[in-house]
Amino acid sequence: MADRVETKVSSGCGVRAGERHLVDPIGVAIHIRRPQDPAAIGRFDTTDLPRGLDVARHPLVARILHDRRLQFMLILPNQIIFWLVIGIGLLGTAIPGLNFATAITWYLWFCLVFVMMVVVGRAWCAMCPFGGFGEWVQRHTFWKRTTSNIGLGLKMPEKVAQYGFLLSVGAFLLLTWIEEFFNIAGPGNPASTSLMVLGIVASALLFFLVFERRTFCRYVCPLSALIGTVGTMGSVAGFRTRDRDVCLSCATKDCMRGDKDGYGCPWYTWPGSSDSNSACGLCTECYKACPSDNIGLFLQKPLTSVVAPTRRRADVAWSIALLFGLVVYQQLNALTPFGNLDTWLNNHTIFPHYPDPIAYIGIIFAVALVMAGVARGFQAAFARKGYTPVSIGRTFVDRTSAFRTYFLPLMYGIIPVVGADYFARQLPKFFQHVPRVPVSIGHLFGVGTTGSSLYKASLISSNAGIVAVQVGVIAAGTLAAMWTSWRIAGRDIAPAGGNKRVVQLSVTTFALVLGVAVAVLYVLMNAAD
Amino acid sequence: MTVVDTTTNTDLAGERHVRVLVDRCAGCQECVIRCPSGALSMEPVTWTALANDDACVGCRQCERTCPFSAIEVHGPLAVSARFDPANYQPVELRGNIAETRRGYDTWEEAIAEANRCLTCPDPTCVRGCPAHNDIPQFVAAVRDRDLERAHAILSRTTVMPDICSRVCNQAAQCEGACTWSLAGGEPVAIGRLERFIADHAPVPSPTIATSRDDALSVAIIGSGPAGIGAAWDLIEAGASVTVFEKDATPGGLPIWGMPDFTLPDDVATRPWRQLLDAGVELHCDTPIAPASIDQLLDEHDAVIVAAGASVPIRLPVPGAELDGVVDATYFLKGAKSALSVGGDPGAFRRELGVREERGRRVLVLGAGNTAMDVARMARRLGLEATCVDWLDERFALARPDELAEARHEGVDVRFSRTLTMLLGYEGRVGRALLAHTFQRDAKKSPVVLEREPDQLDVDLVVMAMGYRIDNELSESVGALPIRKRATGMAHGAWTASGILKNAASAYNHFSPVGSLALDREVGLWAATMPQRERVWVAGDALTGPASVVEAMAQGRRAARALLDAHPTRPGHSKDPLARTSARVLVCYASEGGTTKRVAEEMVDQLNLQGARAQARPISEVGVRELADCDALMVGTWVEGLVVAKVRPARAMREWLAGLPNLGGRRVGIFCTYKVNPRGALAEMSAVLTAKGAQVVASDAFGARDAHDSIHPTKPEALANRMADRVVRHRSSLSPR
Repeated sequence: MADRVETKVSSGCGVRAGERHLVDPIGVAIHIRRPQDPAAIGRFDTTDLPRGLDVARHPLVARILHDRRLQFMLILPNQIIFWLVIGIGLLGTAIPGLNFATAITWYLWFCLVFVMMVVVGRAWCAMCPFGGFGEWVQRHTFWKRTTSNIGLGLKMPEKVAQYGFLLSVGAFLLLTWIEEFFNIAGPGNPASTSLMVLGIVASALLFFLVFERRTFCRYVCPLSALIGTVGTMGSVAGFRTRDRDVCLSCATKDCMRGDKDGYGCPWYTWPGSSDSNSACGLCTECYKACPSDNIGLFLQKPLTSVVAPTRRRADVAWSIALLFGLVVYQQLNALTPFGNLDTWLNNHTIFPHYPDPIAYIGIIFAVALVMAGVARGFQAAFARKGYTPVSIGRTFVDRTSAFRTYFLPLMYGIIPVVGADYFARQLPKFFQHVPRVPVSIGHLFGVGTTGSSLYKASLISSNAGIVAVQVGVIAAGTLAAMWTSWRIAGRDIAPAGGNKRVVQLSVTTFALVLGVAVAVLYVLMNAAD
Repeated sequence: MTVVDTTTNTDLAGERHVRVLVDRCAGCQECVIRCPSGALSMEPVTWTALANDDACVGCRQCERTCPFSAIEVHGPLAVSARFDPANYQPVELRGNIAETRRGYDTWEEAIAEANRCLTCPDPTCVRGCPAHNDIPQFVAAVRDRDLERAHAILSRTTVMPDICSRVCNQAAQCEGACTWSLAGGEPVAIGRLERFIADHAPVPSPTIATSRDDALSVAIIGSGPAGIGAAWDLIEAGASVTVFEKDATPGGLPIWGMPDFTLPDDVATRPWRQLLDAGVELHCDTPIAPASIDQLLDEHDAVIVAAGASVPIRLPVPGAELDGVVDATYFLKGAKSALSVGGDPGAFRRELGVREERGRRVLVLGAGNTAMDVARMARRLGLEATCVDWLDERFALARPDELAEARHEGVDVRFSRTLTMLLGYEGRVGRALLAHTFQRDAKKSPVVLEREPDQLDVDLVVMAMGYRIDNELSESVGALPIRKRATGMAHGAWTASGILKNAASAYNHFSPVGSLALDREVGLWAATMPQRERVWVAGDALTGPASVVEAMAQGRRAARALLDAHPTRPGHSKDPLARTSARVLVCYASEGGTTKRVAEEMVDQLNLQGARAQARPISEVGVRELADCDALMVGTWVEGLVVAKVRPARAMREWLAGLPNLGGRRVGIFCTYKVNPRGALAEMSAVLTAKGAQVVASDAFGARDAHDSIHPTKPEALANRMADRVVRHRSSLSPR
């Protein structure tokens, strides 16, 4: 009983003159335990942000964030564009470069998503038309706070949910394979793009109707793992608590359960313990719901959410390894030796054409295993004799081991390289073809043709120029990764053994090597073209 | 939901395990702070909940309170079996009015049961109890063999533990909300423990504050549970209390409506013995017509209407006018005096016209608790009894144990039947036609089926479908009864406690205890608001027929709100302690902050004028805040298209629409505008007047008032006017 918060109880049973008579007796009967204070163990010391970075302090921003229509206004333009994409892709011209669906999706949108990811974090999630549509249906409203939901409202089964982002990675690998198989993003036949978008909308809607909140976005959405990992480089920390003591003493947790002003967090994130922007969908619901006005929208320095979190999650680490595998696969598949391998495999497995699933899966997992192998190597080289980390969780996400002590921080450290690599991959289409977007819009009104000068124009026309930009992007990413690796190695890896500087230097070198390797691949790809 | 096996075997703890879904656990500690057994803590690195399976008792409070459903408990409940003493079952029913339900006889029994209580940190049973008794603490007092402390804890919230523990339907209240019950197990026998306390130590009498001749004078209409609750708190606070009762004996329904075999007479009369000793002035046989409340207001500072709901509902069927058709009130009153010491059952049977040569069968219409009482009384009078109710048995209104007892005593209870016609012979009822009905779910009314109706030879028909309040009361006091239904979202603290997530179990099959409790809250807080100036209403008169405990709790709430408001009849305030400063609540809806600034300025001004003012945004103003003030200032920004369709802000309009009756509160209104306020103030004024407020001052603050902010003299002027009407008005009445 000693650890319970003793509420002051008036000893007398009668009512005395001069006192306040009307009291709610429920409060008297509550003796909840004292919550453990994370400040006592410095749990959030590294991830808490200074008050000055809270943009919601400004009255205008606060007013905009409080408005329930904000989310709707962000989603609406994208919603219109993507339904146009579906319609025009199916009904419009079959020339990919001239069809609005393919032009806007592959020349502009994909690139923009990466820019938003790297600069902000989950900005796309705040305006995503797929999740937005599902949510409108689930909540049967465009912006109002409703109290009943359409659908079954199930929870993601723990058997799946315990693997965190990995289901999303799986969805991304599958979608990318389909996209390569049908040559959707090439871009190929615009109808394929339409069907793919329609498929995403339909599956999102299905998940929104079967599961509760944004289960789809958190666990299934193909982009979720990518945004949740690469997006941690972003400069928006998301919605965080302003004063943790207020959150700890909050008896209602409206930010999680929802109240009349806002829904409970659809992403299963609590502003009071959020230590990264990885799972904050920037949907503003917690901000609206908080009865104490204790939630702010915080900015952060770039890369903060990569370096700062002390809780390193295995699902994030494996997601990075696999996503890196995918982008390396996409680089390799432009090279002649890969073409030969793919053809050989197709001939022997009676598979119709590129991409052969064995090569696809094989290369991705090979890269991921190489990452794991490097971590194992670091462990062999540096770990103290008999080093075993403190045992914490019993689940996939939180289990600890000597291997994980190296693997997890190592993968967090290379996030900027992976991000830069994905970004660089999108650049050629953007630089070569983005002028076709206005042409495709004009074509809808009968003015754009493949013969127009704008259709043939490029922002950067020479391959060498594009490669130079790509290498520049990779160089920037590599420098960032070297910095994050240095910091992370010093804090998270060095304590397990070895000379701190040597460990830092080795881990940083690893990031450098990866950066150089992918940069070389870009040069080779260019040569292959 | 199946009933989870309960077990005493602590070796089974190994089979019980808690799983924290770490991907979803956000580290909010809602489970940690509420775990009764301290089995949960935080893992410092991941900052997720960490469970100690060995300490877990399996009550699943964590499951119910986790906002993200990120914790699961598997395995049996670690609690011993509940002990309920068997009912007393008389061999010879006729004339036997001994109490049938039994309490615990020994300390061992009581302590064994008390040990089943987990002393939950956030006890759901307290929310389930209509009076919000501090159940974990009084159970702990029983465990400590300290009945005096137990009574002290109980008396904070109830004045009739002996009565409530016998007549409450605990399965839909405290015991239904017990954490074991919510987890699908057997709840702690809270009612029996309360009864143990009341049976083994006398219920303490009111502790009277030093009486002052200048204290409040309050008239209470009705001496039932609501009147008792109100009189108790008022007399304890030193007020002078006068109670008017229309019957010859005080006590209301528990006295005339509840048979001795449920509630023995010496228990039922205990509160009034103590109240009379404490100095409450009681006038029996003095009915007060609601229309004459005004007269009482001239003689007293305030009136509490606790007149109950005692107009029997009659079923309009062909034949209802025949001889031998009576209502439950008449039957219960007659039967009770006939069966008590010195009564003559034979004479009452003759009065009812029941003849020995006929079947002597009583048809009781209804199968609620009153109907059960009627039927069981009939059995004790030596009659046969049949109860019919058109509801399906699954949705029966009677307590399950009451129903079982009645059937055991030979009452024929038929559900899914409804009376369609009474046939008579020589003006006397002789036969009833009972049609079959069908009911799909609890919220839908049953439908009458075409099948051939049952025929039943009857000698007497008692209509026991319930009661309603007097129409005259509704006309003279306000829109009564109020609608006792919680709307909108539940307060976060209720959701957080987990009571709203109750699974149906053997103990609360079709009663969602959480929503029942929330509905009762509406009645409790409504009792705190005067329905007219200086007139409070409590109990069945306020809500329509409900329970004894609710009426008692509402009576106490009304009395306490009254004591805080300290109303005075014109020209009679001699109380030096009476507040000369009014409590003014400034409620505002502000968007850009201007209205908020005006509201704060208003607070400063009102305080300077001698009021005790505070400002709150309307989102934070509910009934309890309204009950806690004497006058209101309501301010809003106005929205609209510059000059067209200018109205008070939507949030304000919605808030105004949801207000309870303001009972004559003085209200000042203001708005802030950019171009033109148009009819915004008039619209607010109309709505507030319709809600029973007196609008005494109003003003609009526009852009022209501002250089950088609102001109400081304008709020001052409005505050002055408001203070004139409220603050000075009050203080001028009290001689300095």
